[in-house]
Amino acid sequence: MFAYFLTRLASLALILVVMSVLIFLVTQAMPGDVASMIAGQFASKEVVDAIAVKLGLDQPLIVQYGRWAAGILQGDLGRSLVLEQPIGPILMEALARSLVLAVVALVVVAVVGIALGVLAAVRRGKLTDQMVSGISYLGIAVPDFFWAIVLVLIFGSYLKLLPTGGYTPISEGFLPWAAHLVLPVVTLVLMLLARIARLTRSSMIDVLQTNYVKFARAKGMPESVVILRHALKNALLPTITVLAIDFGLILGGVVVIETIFSYPGMGRLLLFAIQRHDLPLIQATILIVSAAYCLANLTADLLYAFVNPKIRHGMRAS
Amino acid sequence: MMTAPQAQPVLQPAAAPAVTPAPAPLLDIRGLTISYGNARGTLRAASDVSFAIRPGEVMGLVGESGSGKSTVAMAILDLLGGGGRVDSGEILFDGVDLRRLPAAERRALRGDRIAAVFQDPFTSLNPALTVGRQIAEPLIQHKGLSPRQAAVRVEELLAEVGIREPRRVAASYPHELSGGMQQRALIATALGCEPKLLILDEPTTALDVTVEARIIDLLAKLCDSHRLSALFVSHNLGIVNRICETVTVLYGGVVVETGRTGRVLSRPAHPYAKGLVAALPRITAERRHRLPSIPGTVAKLSGAVTACVFAPRCPFAEETCRSQPQPMRMDEAGDGVRCWKADALAGMPWPDEDAGAARPSRPQPQQSAPLVEVDHLRKVYGANRSVLPWLRRAGTVAVDDVSFTVGRGEVVGVVGESGSGKSTIGRALLALTEPSAGTVLFDGADLTERVRRGDQDLRRRAQLVFQNSAASLNPRKTIGAAMDRPLVLAGHGDAEERGKTIAGLLTRVGLPAAYADRYPHELSGGERQRVNIARALATNPDFVVCDEAVSALDVSVQANILNLLAELRDEMGLSYLFITHDIAVVSHIADRVLVVYGGTICEEGPIASVLRPPYHPYTEALLSAVPRLAEDGQEVPRILLEDAAAAPGGRGCAFAARCPRKLGAVCDEQAPPVHATADGHRIACHIPLATLAERASVFPELMGDDARH
Ligand code: SF4
Ligand code: SF4
Repeated sequence: MFAYFLTRLASLALILVVMSVLIFLVTQAMPGDVASMIAGQFASKEVVDAIAVKLGLDQPLIVQYGRWAAGILQGDLGRSLVLEQPIGPILMEALARSLVLAVVALVVVAVVGIALGVLAAVRRGKLTDQMVSGISYLGIAVPDFFWAIVLVLIFGSYLKLLPTGGYTPISEGFLPWAAHLVLPVVTLVLMLLARIARLTRSSMIDVLQTNYVKFARAKGMPESVVILRHALKNALLPTITVLAIDFGLILGGVVVIETIFSYPGMGRLLLFAIQRHDLPLIQATILIVSAAYCLANLTADLLYAFVNPKIRHGMRAS
Repeated sequence: MMTAPQAQPVLQPAAAPAVTPAPAPLLDIRGLTISYGNARGTLRAASDVSFAIRPGEVMGLVGESGSGKSTVAMAILDLLGGGGRVDSGEILFDGVDLRRLPAAERRALRGDRIAAVFQDPFTSLNPALTVGRQIAEPLIQHKGLSPRQAAVRVEELLAEVGIREPRRVAASYPHELSGGMQQRALIATALGCEPKLLILDEPTTALDVTVEARIIDLLAKLCDSHRLSALFVSHNLGIVNRICETVTVLYGGVVVETGRTGRVLSRPAHPYAKGLVAALPRITAERRHRLPSIPGTVAKLSGAVTACVFAPRCPFAEETCRSQPQPMRMDEAGDGVRCWKADALAGMPWPDEDAGAARPSRPQPQQSAPLVEVDHLRKVYGANRSVLPWLRRAGTVAVDDVSFTVGRGEVVGVVGESGSGKSTIGRALLALTEPSAGTVLFDGADLTERVRRGDQDLRRRAQLVFQNSAASLNPRKTIGAAMDRPLVLAGHGDAEERGKTIAGLLTRVGLPAAYADRYPHELSGGERQRVNIARALATNPDFVVCDEAVSALDVSVQANILNLLAELRDEMGLSYLFITHDIAVVSHIADRVLVVYGGTICEEGPIASVLRPPYHPYTEALLSAVPRLAEDGQEVPRILLEDAAAAPGGRGCAFAARCPRKLGAVCDEQAPPVHATADGHRIACHIPLATLAERASVFPELMGDDARH
């Protein structure tokens, strides 16, 4: 298990290096020239060149990349050109806020989705099952921002129960903080819930027909033990994989959601950076989002191995 | 072979009538009727089934697929699923009607008073939980043990079922254990709460013969020492004969005969039971013997029983049989039969279709050049000879240095257990897998070479029939369409001509030509296997590999298909490579047989020589493990092998890890020499031939045949 973990970690590092090169090259290829942006529209060529020299923009790309990468390795993400501040603290703050959103949404999706799936599988063909299926179709058929708008209208504008956007730090009280999370989280959840519920339902139905479930019943195990201990643990394997992919989707989805709810996270930061052509900020943001995505996948793989003894032991052997 | 018919009344009372009143039955099933309902209607799975099991008694419940035997077992456990419903009847356990108990109380009985072991150990254990935890569950649930107390008991239980390292096994996950160990773990689970009744649903069907022998032995011992009653559901009469005191025969959801095992299997009274016993392939050295078979297939039944259920297939049926249902007639000894003609038919054997009929004399296998020559064949799976050292892997040796020939018109049997490499040999002969070393010559030309050149003729001349008749046919294609494909590939005429060929082939394998328009699911298992054979014959091959071709079929159908294969061989001069785990089946059809173990040939020779001493130690164990009916000869002490099989492929004898006659280090370190005799009988073993020849025959009755030879 440990050797496997190390190999996976090594490959993760490799992927991030490749990603960083790609990010660097792509952002370099973006239209616009950083030096002239900083210098302003009316600056003379000499001023622009001086700024370029100061920023090292006259050096070959490889040297620029080397400098950037070395900085990151030392924990220095560079300076934002527009905000004229070190990127690190800004980014970390935004990341923390986005992660809160993503993790809470993921947990809710996992818990509610799996519970609905199990319920539908156990009551297969009955009313509960049909209701879950119906809701699932609705969730899949309608685009995600639609729910966002509906929710804002109902809870924010009409009922005036919840804030329709913005953010309050937790230091100003738990409830206000939590209230700002509700609508974005619910929107994210609605976007992903249906798939998880349907997937869990179908793998649960398969598992409930296996011989080991029949044998567990023949041992006189109560139905709750049969379902939770014997069936669910096996039925979760595909769900875990999809949840990891979903975490990536959530990270992508927050860009939209954060914009709709004016929630100050990574998505908004990235949007801001792109609009203002803040190259170092764009690079750092994308790199961090990629790293978070890779980490989520690694976690899912480890979790998968943990639940599935066949893989766990295969690894022990190799 | 059947013994001579005995002309005595079938239902004679027991020799010594019981003086003490029989104890009250532990399980008493009365008039159980079960049906399955789905959108298309209801099917009756069991009608008015009654039988009783006394304390300490093991009863066999036998029948073919569709007989309802498993349904009855599941009804006792209250585990009928998939729309199954008990319509009426009583299930009295210890005097209490289980059907009247609330569901929670029935559940509490399960795993505690009534325990079960199912067919497939590979899928009956939960892959995500350790074996120990799964065995402990009922102990914790029913006996209120703490997990720690349960863990101690689990180790005791595992030791009791013959597992040598109980602690290690308890901590293992199912996939880390062999099939035999998994089944032992399931038995340990069932024994945990010291039940009174065991429901054993085909508990050894998925296991190898030598493993099965040990498990049956274990079950018999346990039932004896714990005074357990058991319902032993099985299709295998030989095993029922070995372990059951009484037997109940089901046909079409109806009990047709019940009684003491010895009587039912040696003097069956009901025509169906007669047919079942007659159709059972037995070990025989007389290869030309044609197996009696039961014509037709089990019909799906719905509605009330209005006639004898067996009438459509019964050779003795009369008008009376079709006009009214048959009542069960019991005698005081507890034997019962559901056939009004039983007494009149006493001693009458099942009709042998072509008894005495002159069969076309088969051209003897020619002595000329063999059709297939296999020379030092070796196949390694999963090997990687990468230049990168950390990617290199030795792989698993499936077949190691195997050489043999198949003559024109000859049937060569390959007998072995799972992992013996027998299927790999078959695939290599059809060029479905490329040998890692060695050559396969087909009609004198190198097979691998010809396939590489894209030789279509070869694909035409060598065909495959394999086990799973359902999986080998596309469910969305008609039979005709499935058979058309090989014909098109072989460039066979236009559509009309091909249609004629297909009709001809279907008739040839004994199916109506109209079956071309049917879909696979409309056919029975036996019919589908006939289609597979017809499809294999479509391209007019010389050589057919039959890989477990009859293994999944019921006994009566199996006999049918074996006869068909024998006929086709005789008429078309086909050569077969007949791969199977069942040496009795092989003895009916093969001229020569190879016994394979761990990818090597242990013994090879004409079937009559292989069945008689000298034996290779593995062959001897294999033969002695074959379950047989009492009348086939007195029980021979069985040679029980360890079920742990070390991965073969070392330098020495592949069988060394399990060999009961192992000589010592020489067996581990040196490949055994091959002893050959004049008639082509070859044995690979370090024990000298003369010593091997000293052993008694496993089949004393075959020695008698020698005199006639
Ligand atoms: S009742 Fe008639 S049809 Fe039925 S088994 Fe007896 S003889 Fe055959
Ligand atoms: S060579 Fe040795 S191990 Fe192999 S079968 Fe003969 S006696 Fe047994």
